[in-house]
Amino acid sequence: MFDLFREISQTLSHNKVRTALTGIAVTWGIFMLIVLLSMARGVTNSFNHDMMQGNNAKIQVWSGNTSIPYHGNREGRRIRLKDKDMVSVKDNNSGYVEEVTSRLSGGGKITSEKAQVSQSYSGVFPREFTPSRNGDIIAGRFLNSRDMDTKAKVMVIPQRYAAQLFPPDGKDALGSRVNCNGLSFLVVGVYESRWNREVYIPFTTARMMAADREDLGNLSINLKDVNTEKDGTDAEDGVRNTLAANHDFDPKDTNAVYIYNRFTSSLTTKNALGILDTCVWVLGILTLLTGIVGISNIMFVTVRERTHEIGIRRAIGAKPRKILTQVIVESVAITVIFGYIGIVLGTAVTQIIAMLIGEGDNTPLRNPTVSITIALEVTAVLVIAGMLAGLFPALKALKVKPVEALRDE
Amino acid sequence: MIRLTDVNKTYPGAVPLHVLKGINLEINKGELVSIMGASGSGKSTLLNILGILDNYDSGEYYLDGTLIKNLSENKAAEYRNRMIGFVFQSFNLINYKNAVENVALPLFYQGISRKKRNKLAMEQLERMGLADRAHHLPSEMSGGQKQRVAIARAMITNPSIILADEPTGALDSKTSHDVMEIFRTLNTEEGKTIVIVTHDPGVAEQTDRLIRISDGIIV
Repeated sequence: MFDLFREISQTLSHNKVRTALTGIAVTWGIFMLIVLLSMARGVTNSFNHDMMQGNNAKIQVWSGNTSIPYHGNREGRRIRLKDKDMVSVKDNNSGYVEEVTSRLSGGGKITSEKAQVSQSYSGVFPREFTPSRNGDIIAGRFLNSRDMDTKAKVMVIPQRYAAQLFPPDGKDALGSRVNCNGLSFLVVGVYESRWNREVYIPFTTARMMAADREDLGNLSINLKDVNTEKDGTDAEDGVRNTLAANHDFDPKDTNAVYIYNRFTSSLTTKNALGILDTCVWVLGILTLLTGIVGISNIMFVTVRERTHEIGIRRAIGAKPRKILTQVIVESVAITVIFGYIGIVLGTAVTQIIAMLIGEGDNTPLRNPTVSITIALEVTAVLVIAGMLAGLFPALKALKVKPVEALRDE
Repeated sequence: MIRLTDVNKTYPGAVPLHVLKGINLEINKGELVSIMGASGSGKSTLLNILGILDNYDSGEYYLDGTLIKNLSENKAAEYRNRMIGFVFQSFNLINYKNAVENVALPLFYQGISRKKRNKLAMEQLERMGLADRAHHLPSEMSGGQKQRVAIARAMITNPSIILADEPTGALDSKTSHDVMEIFRTLNTEEGKTIVIVTHDPGVAEQTDRLIRISDGIIV
């Protein structure tokens, strides 16, 4: 085997320029394949990352204005979402709806004994906070259901406010008291986030503080047991019908409330990414095919040019199989060597692009590298392609009769 | 060593060409024989059949007691490798391999290790007085040197016969003489059976026996 490689390296280096030119086509093909695959992978990773951080099985509802007259009401009527909508949406769609949440904001100043910050509070449900998406809890805890039940005056604040309210570093924030809207709150948690600066209090507490402001800006509906696109649209219809009954608007009126169905749109995106992946493979393989045809062509030329040499080899006792193996292994060697150059270049370029775009929570390319699996797949593609490229020229080399080959000068 | 009985060969075509018309030939072990004939007489075809490079239509060809007839490509390659050493007019060395590698090539096809075959190849080159040229490419050698490398390559498998096709055709008279001298030495000192095809009477004179072929028949 080692001898065979020595033979091949000798024949390949005998014609360096041609070997290199042929190889470049393959390098280019693999380079494109790798770059495209990595980019697609980066986009997919980025998407999955975003999706994994939040709950995808979710429907968001915002209030809107009716656009169809209904039951004697004129169009253009404002639909105001109320607390009772949260209950009825859940009760009427118990098959799909796990929980309905909302948020209430208010206030404007939070003060400690030493300082104050201008920031309104957000009254939220415990599950509104997703670690790493909204930030990471670095001290204490987030709100829990007991806080909700007891309408506790507790607060979770970002580290930047902790440091301002409790200088110098905010280490004392946890367990301390702050004032908000004339009420005293206990800081039960501190979180770190680069961009989020919300101050969280329980929804029920916020509701109590804003008893006069009944309207909810939006409803956030967490779904359960949804798997197919039909489940998603069924849940959406159920929510709309319930709200239509509550507020007496036409269930067909899509402007009365605005509904964003995150579940079905994530399914659509997932399908699109799948198609993207397939397209990339097809494109990449077609590009590679150009290189392969090039190799096949060159192997034909090589066989033709070396007819005389093949004749000599056969005269002194080379068996047909040896000649066949040599031509095919030669072709595979060119393909694999130059293919790997393409893999290395492609990976390098991808890394550079990733570096330029940058990491971070919202990068469009997350970890755009090819996995080991893809590297193996590409290697398999290379070897098979090289064998196919070499096969026909090799069969042609076999047809060369030693006598005729020897005459060929 | 070689026995041909009524060997016929026709090249098919629009007008079939009957090249060998019943060749009967016997060459004994240790003979140095030359075959002469005009161009088109069939001597090249005869040589190709003797060298198992070509098939024949009817008759029988025994080489060293083995019937050579309708062999598979694999079998033919094996017999060529082990029983026959070729020397050609145009040397037929592989131009990107140096002298040692060229001489060692037949052993590569026997699956002999690189170290061993290079050692054997060096021995052959030393016998040809080419030890100092061992790592030169054919393009860096004279015609006489190239032909001696080719003879070393023919000898390396210790074949039953050496077939030489116009071995001096591309050489000047002085070098031709040297090459013939080598063949004579191999014949007398090692008892090699050597068949030389030539159209040069000077070469034929230096062999033990002259076989003339004319119009597909031994005369």
